[in-house]
Amino acid sequence: MTGEKGNKLARVIPEEFLDEKLTAEPKLDSTSQKRIGDQLRAMYDELMQQPVPDRFKELLEQLDKKDLETPE
Amino acid sequence: MTPEPDLRDALLAAVPSLRAFAISLSGQVDRADDLVQDTLLRALSNLHRFERGTNLNAWLFTILRNLFHSEYRKRRREVEDPDGSYAGRLKVQPEQGARLDFEDFRSALAKLPPDQREALLLVGASGFSYEEAAHICGCAVGTIKSRVNRARFRLASLLNVDDVDDLGPDSMTRAALQNS
Repeated sequence: MTGEKGNKLARVIPEEFLDEKLTAEPKLDSTSQKRIGDQLRAMYDELMQQPVPDRFKELLEQLDKKDLETPE
Repeated sequence: MTPEPDLRDALLAAVPSLRAFAISLSGQVDRADDLVQDTLLRALSNLHRFERGTNLNAWLFTILRNLFHSEYRKRRREVEDPDGSYAGRLKVQPEQGARLDFEDFRSALAKLPPDQREALLLVGASGFSYEEAAHICGCAVGTIKSRVNRARFRLASLLNVDDVDDLGPDSMTRAALQNS
């Protein structure tokens, strides 16, 4: 993936510099931030707990029968 | 390369988190499942590119995210009102016993620009670090931080969490106390 290069560059930039840049933007107080985070995770957890649809199990089970070396 | 059972199990184990991400990102279960399926197929045909020992989930999320964006760009050219239709379809979402309180949250999430939504989902819900999220999105860590920050702020004002529109001395003091 082409994203790799950007990431390596990003690591070189010191965190303090980035944080400094962030102070120009509106920032939430930590109470609100926590509430948003809690709601987000609650919504997400519910999605994570949904059963995996059969189509994915079937798709991966086919790997048993088919060699990946020869994609159709 | 033969598919190792370990890898197959790892792919299957990744499905719930890929689905949760895809559903939250696209707002549609059907489209999300198609995205997950395409992601798995693409991962399988590109397994030789996956570096063993690195984070499989991050690799899969990268594939899914790129598929979503290329599709989104394509649709935006074709479709009239992508944001409005997204918000409308979200209402179909609650399935097995989904709690009603998430309705507001989901429609607020749908109002975020896709890049902010994805950054928030990766960092705030999928458990990736800022560095991993930057890697997945192919951008700088600072960009992710800024997107997450803006996403939270926008959600808070859409949901009227703690009246952020009214940034009085009280909330300032509270924030200061909690940060100390």
